Order: sequence, then structure tokens, then C-alpha cells
Amino acid sequence: MPEAKPRTLELSEDAKGRLTELRALSEKVEAGDKEARKELRRLLRVSSPEVIAEASGIARRAEWMLVKTISAGKPLMEEALQERMDQMRSEISGENPTPLEVLLTERVVAGWLLVEVLEGLIAAQYQRDVKAHRVAPTYVIQQSRILESATRRYLAAIRELARVRKLEAGAPVQVNTQVNVLRG
Amino acid sequence: MTLERRNGRLYYYRSVRDGEKVRKVYVGAEEFARIFAEGDILRRTDRKAQRERNKAELERLEAMAASVEELSEAAEVLVRAHLVNAGYHRHKGEYRRARGEAKNA
Repeated sequence: MPEAKPRTLELSEDAKGRLTELRALSEKVEAGDKEARKELRRLLRVSSPEVIAEASGIARRAEWMLVKTISAGKPLMEEALQERMDQMRSEISGENPTPLEVLLTERVVAGWLLVEVLEGLIAAQYQRDVKAHRVAPTYVIQQSRILESATRRYLAAIRELARVRKLEAGAPVQVNTQVNVLRG
Repeated sequence: MTLERRNGRLYYYRSVRDGEKVRKVYVGAEEFARIFAEGDILRRTDRKAQRERNKAELERLEAMAASVEELSEAAEVLVRAHLVNAGYHRHKGEYRRARGEAKNA
């Protein structure tokens, strides 16, 4: 029986639309449009908590898929991974994280797990008995390509979180903005 | 790869690529022809199944990676919007606060 094609976890059309609007408004503000700044502030206040919640939900579901893959049906392994990820989350997010920091933390944790899964799978190809199953080089190349892009994104996620923290530390008003977002 | 019957006898040939041409190479006759032909069919089926398994595995990995990518893109847009709203702008990939920018931006 053919396996069902895996589905990508996606944001809702509504969330995608809001992100597109936020992106366009950010560009306008950066170009000096004062009216756009007001609109950006309004849209952030209205939509940021929803989009953050939805994106965090996606992160959790993606992590769950990755944990299932890496633990290969071993409950102990699954448990250990969940525990490790919870530890990572609390270590990375620290005390009283802003909603944006929570989202960025989820991104770092999901990125780390994806890199772990891919590295594990690629390592398994090299450890496998060559006579048992010869894996096509194109397959390994494609796997490596996915790993390379996942590693790049993972490192970018760490940088982004560090940057947000640094800027927040230098500008307390940024924290206030985040608190407003939290309260909707 | 063909099993051919000539004058009541069974012959088995494999197709071998030689540059741009494909040559037929004699493998065996009668009982040997059957054994080699069946062996080749089994190997071919096995390779096809392996290719399909690899394809399904890659699709699964790409779907997992795409979910993390979706999250990354959303986070990037939100971070930029928050920073721009707080009075920062990007300069050569770095965010800087604009001179004279109101702090309650």
C-alpha cells in the first residue's frame, strides 16, 4: 500500500496574509513612510499575538514529527528527547521571555532538532553495510542539501535571537512593546 | 533484457550500454537463461523499491524541513516588524536605531 504523502505544516491563510502585510509595512516604514509606521504599530498590536501563537503551534507540531522520526518508536528515546527539548527551551528563553523570544526559542529548538535528525540519517547511510543496500549518491546528495539549508537556518535563528536580546537590552522601550503585544 | 526462443531453445540476453549504443550481450541458454532472467528481475524490482523508499523518505524530510522553514520565515517577518516599529532600521544586515528616533516609536 503506498504511503500517504507527507504534508507540510503550514500557517493559515489569514496568518500568511498578516505576515505579508507586516512585511510590506516594515519596508514602507524603513523607507521613511510615517503613516505606515502608525499602521504597522496597529497591525502588530492586533495580529502579533495570533501569528506568534500559530507559528509556535506549528513549531511544536514540527518538533513532534521530528521526535517521532529520531526516536523510531522507542518510548524511552522519545521521552528523553522531549525532556532535552524542554531543558533547551527553558535555558534559551530564560526568565520572563517576551512572546517574540518564545517564538524565536521555538525556532532555535526546532532547528536544532531538524539538524540532529538529518545528521543522524546521513551518518546512518555511511555506517550501513554497503552490501546490504547501496544508497544512490543522488539520494545522499539531496539529504546533504536539506541538511545544509537546515544548518544555515538554525545558525540564523540563534543569531536572530541574540540580536533581538541585544537590542532589547539597549532599548527598554522594545520590552514595553513586547509586553503590550502579550496583553493583546 | 530479453528471453528469446529460437528453434525451440531459450536464450537470455542483457542490454548493455556502450557509449550511445545499446548492445545485446549473450548471458546463457535454457535453464541458465531462466535463472539469470529471474535474478535480473528480482534485482530490478529491488532497486525500484529502494528508489521509491528513498523518494518517500526525501519527501518526508523535505516536509519536516519546510515546516521549520515556515516557522523561520514567520519569525523573521515578526522580528523585523517589531524592530522597525521600535525605531530600528537595517544597515548592511545590522539593525540600528535611527538618529533622533523617538524612543516610543
